[in-house]
Amino acid sequence: MTQGPVQNERAPVIEPGYTLGSVTDKISSIVLTRPTSNAWFVGFGVAFLLLMMLLFAIAYLFVKGIGIWGVNAPIGWGFAIVNFVWWIGIGHAGTLISAILLLLRQSWRNSINRFAEAMTLFAVASAGIFPLIHVGRPWLAYWLFPYPNTMRVWPQFRSPLVWDVFAVSTYATLSALFWFIGLIPDLATLRDRSEERWKKIIYGMLAMGWRGSARHWHRYETAYLLLAGLATPLVLSVHTVVSFDFAVGIVPGWHTTIFPPYFVAGAIYSGFAMVLMLAIPIRKVYNLEDFITERHLQNAAKVMLATGLIVAYGYVIEAFMGWYGGNRYDAFLLWNRLHGPYSFFYYMLLACNIVIPQVLWIPKLRSSPVWLFLVSGVVLVGMWLERFIIVVVSLHRDFLTSSWGMYYPTRWDWMTYIGTIGLFLSAMFLFVRLLPMISIFEMRTLLPEAEVKE
Amino acid sequence: MSAAPMRNLDLMTPPVVKTIQQRSLIIGLVFGGIAALGAWHQADEFFRAYLMAFMAWLGVTLGSMAILMLRHLTKGAWGMVIRRILGAAMRCVPLMAALFIPLLFGLRRLYIWARPLDAMADNHLREHLQEITKTYLSVNGFVIRAVFYFAIWWGLSFFLTQWSAEQDHPPMRDNSTRFKALSGPGLILYGLTITFAVIDWIMSIDPSWISTIFGLSFLIGQVLSALCFAVVVERILFRYKPMSELLKPEQVHDHGKFMLAFIMVWAYFSFSQWLIIWAGNLPEEITWYMRRLHGGWGYVGLFLVLFHFAVPFVLLISRPFKRDITRLVWLAAWLLLMRYVDLFWVIEPNFSLTFNITWLDVVVPIAMGGLWLAYFFRNLSAMPLVPAYDVFAVEVLEVAHD
Amino acid sequence: MKRTGVYGIMAEFDSVHTLLHAANRVREAGYKRIDAYSPFPVEGLAEAIGFHHDEVPLVVLIGGLIGGLTGYLMQYWISVVSYPVNVGGKPYHSWPAFIIVTFEMTILFAGISAVLGMLALNGLPMPYHPVFNAPRFAFATKDRFFLIVFSSDPKYKPTEVRSFLESLQPRSISEVPD
Repeated sequence: MTQGPVQNERAPVIEPGYTLGSVTDKISSIVLTRPTSNAWFVGFGVAFLLLMMLLFAIAYLFVKGIGIWGVNAPIGWGFAIVNFVWWIGIGHAGTLISAILLLLRQSWRNSINRFAEAMTLFAVASAGIFPLIHVGRPWLAYWLFPYPNTMRVWPQFRSPLVWDVFAVSTYATLSALFWFIGLIPDLATLRDRSEERWKKIIYGMLAMGWRGSARHWHRYETAYLLLAGLATPLVLSVHTVVSFDFAVGIVPGWHTTIFPPYFVAGAIYSGFAMVLMLAIPIRKVYNLEDFITERHLQNAAKVMLATGLIVAYGYVIEAFMGWYGGNRYDAFLLWNRLHGPYSFFYYMLLACNIVIPQVLWIPKLRSSPVWLFLVSGVVLVGMWLERFIIVVVSLHRDFLTSSWGMYYPTRWDWMTYIGTIGLFLSAMFLFVRLLPMISIFEMRTLLPEAEVKE
Repeated sequence: MSAAPMRNLDLMTPPVVKTIQQRSLIIGLVFGGIAALGAWHQADEFFRAYLMAFMAWLGVTLGSMAILMLRHLTKGAWGMVIRRILGAAMRCVPLMAALFIPLLFGLRRLYIWARPLDAMADNHLREHLQEITKTYLSVNGFVIRAVFYFAIWWGLSFFLTQWSAEQDHPPMRDNSTRFKALSGPGLILYGLTITFAVIDWIMSIDPSWISTIFGLSFLIGQVLSALCFAVVVERILFRYKPMSELLKPEQVHDHGKFMLAFIMVWAYFSFSQWLIIWAGNLPEEITWYMRRLHGGWGYVGLFLVLFHFAVPFVLLISRPFKRDITRLVWLAAWLLLMRYVDLFWVIEPNFSLTFNITWLDVVVPIAMGGLWLAYFFRNLSAMPLVPAYDVFAVEVLEVAHD
Repeated sequence: MKRTGVYGIMAEFDSVHTLLHAANRVREAGYKRIDAYSPFPVEGLAEAIGFHHDEVPLVVLIGGLIGGLTGYLMQYWISVVSYPVNVGGKPYHSWPAFIIVTFEMTILFAGISAVLGMLALNGLPMPYHPVFNAPRFAFATKDRFFLIVFSSDPKYKPTEVRSFLESLQPRSISEVPD
């Protein structure tokens, strides 16, 4: 036979020439020995300032109440819910990469799953802020959970908002566990590689005494696979439940059965866009092009293309049914999107989510980091607009013309939103500095040295 | 490039395929004759059964096409071993197009929009249908759109077959670029055409009811049917060379995993639709479920929950079960039956408030199945089971060599 | 158990092949209390040292069942027994709505069981362990592979074990103090 293994036809997952030792050194040195660059300080500084802005906006909110926001009657769900859905959606790509691609045995995921999972955690943290500060009296937010209390009242389990509490907190818990479990062997590596004693102690405590015993690895792999198997339906359920927040209501534009799969696809779409926006600069700055190769970027681009088309399917079927169904309110919603006061944003949304990303069909652009970075940015804007259209346009003109209104975000809305980007980026900056951003032990399994021959 | 990778393994289908083909044809003709009698005496019931049978076998046909295109985009040995089975099923598109023609004689019996006087008599429908019958739900529109759908499906199946056939002869070639270029847009076309076809053929039976996930529910059902069908055929062929050499537990395992994934997605779509409509509780929507949960239909629904999802789910969790073709095949055959029950539960309550099954509901799908299987096995024996000159066929052929 | 002041004899290997080969040979030679250490999971290594019963799936199954039951019964009790409220004319026992939280609780409990079960069965966290005393053991988390025969093994005889391990082409051999 003259053909080599099939994999050689595509770009490699990891450039040739690496050994167990050099992979370990390359990734762990970023955390252990590499001096912190000025660029890192500048980047972290900017992100940290935005984070301070978030805290300021929230503090002012607590003093004044949500009247400082643009929400009103009838648009009771403004930026807070738009941003919540946007961030939760972004988080989905991390779980998809680490769990679903693991089950599908897509080994290329091994070099991006760690930081994608970190991205999930920070995105969920950013998302989680919004419902809490949106409840009006955030100091009573624990009322969302069922707990025995002297008032003898309980949450109302027929409400999707309570489902959301369970879905999002389960998601946050399992994402954190999945991420931490994945880190344990690498923390042990850092423990054994650190020169300074205090680092040894900290990483050692976090590694919990991991020693790489064959018995441990066996149970570890079983637990890891089972977690992946659990996280896969979980991640689908989370955005499904988010979609139920809208769909179980009867507001035109919300009450439609396509919402669950369409929300999930949109979540993965925006999540992969965020993965690319992070991975492209990170691989450049930390010289990780050998580990995060063109193949990764291309695959991420293909996932974006596919999920983007499912989102487009959602728009098509929703618009068609608005017409075919013959319900005058649905028909009006369609008209209002196309010709109403927010129509500009609807056309922007179509351009950002459907038209522009089609350039990814061109293989040349799909392998160009610059293009991918730009398209990802466009998709993130588009997916934010989608949630804006769903929340605001559906609410601002519903059944009764007498209760129509308009929604204008205030500076506090914008400060909170941009502030959460600061929170997200600050956490990402700390993460790449303090923990191995690529899973070292999973990278080892990709090396030729790790192959077990009979 | 070297010569054929396996000179000593005959890749043609075993002679048993011819026997099955003939027997299927006989069954098809005999049952077809009986069904024709039914068409004469109980025309209403006949056309309902005919629509269900048509959707069931169309599901296997188009689902196979979808899985085939998915395989071209993702590769993998799981798809190579069933590639030609899927291909043969896909090439039944012309047969399905021919079988569609009799439906046109039953339009007035099946669809209220094709009976303008009845539609006018119903106050609610009259208002609703005024616009839509003028522009969309009309006999002409129905026929034109159907021609369009079949043209697309036939076109896709034509090119996929053509390029695949090239790989049966030297020289060794890699058609994957072409396949990919067609399969990406092909899957989009499939998704859109099947959605609109299902709106025309099934959803418009009750023109006042809409559900935006309906097309996707059918899509996943079709893909599940096709996969189960492929597993059944691979089991039959597994008794003989060359399939006995080619099929490995790993690939069966993958097929089992896909089966599990598809029934989960089916359950997910079905549950989402139910929950959203149940919670909304709007009169124009919930009536669809009221019909399907009362008058005895509720038991069919419960049966589907248990035996289209719960029991198969538990079985498919087991790893040894998924890897053993001799066990997996029974579940696959069962799920094919469940697909039909699902179609029955979706379609038949439109016509009858209480549980109702006629002998035609059994005879017509068997008749159509006989003809379909005869055509399928003819297609299957026309080409080798693996394209030996596809560079990627090595992954299954080499393993068989060891 | 005899206390010898020695925890076991540890051999260091260069590659995964030599480790796997050695593990199989040691097990076939009749040693029962052995362990192997590698910087990444190695397929077949656990079987090679005679490890067969992985209870993690069972723990996860039990956890999931408990979670699901807790979820459903909690909702039933709250909505039907403790605090029945008519919401939109929906029945108190609104099972379609309860499925969501039941599902989430199943996943939550199963996931936590997977993590805690794995850690507990592995005896982690365990900050101190005698094998860390072995020289060069720090490389077990980088690019070296280790095999140990514990002194608690019924067949353990220091000289025999040492010479047997030496025949398996290790890179180095050392005694691990207890």
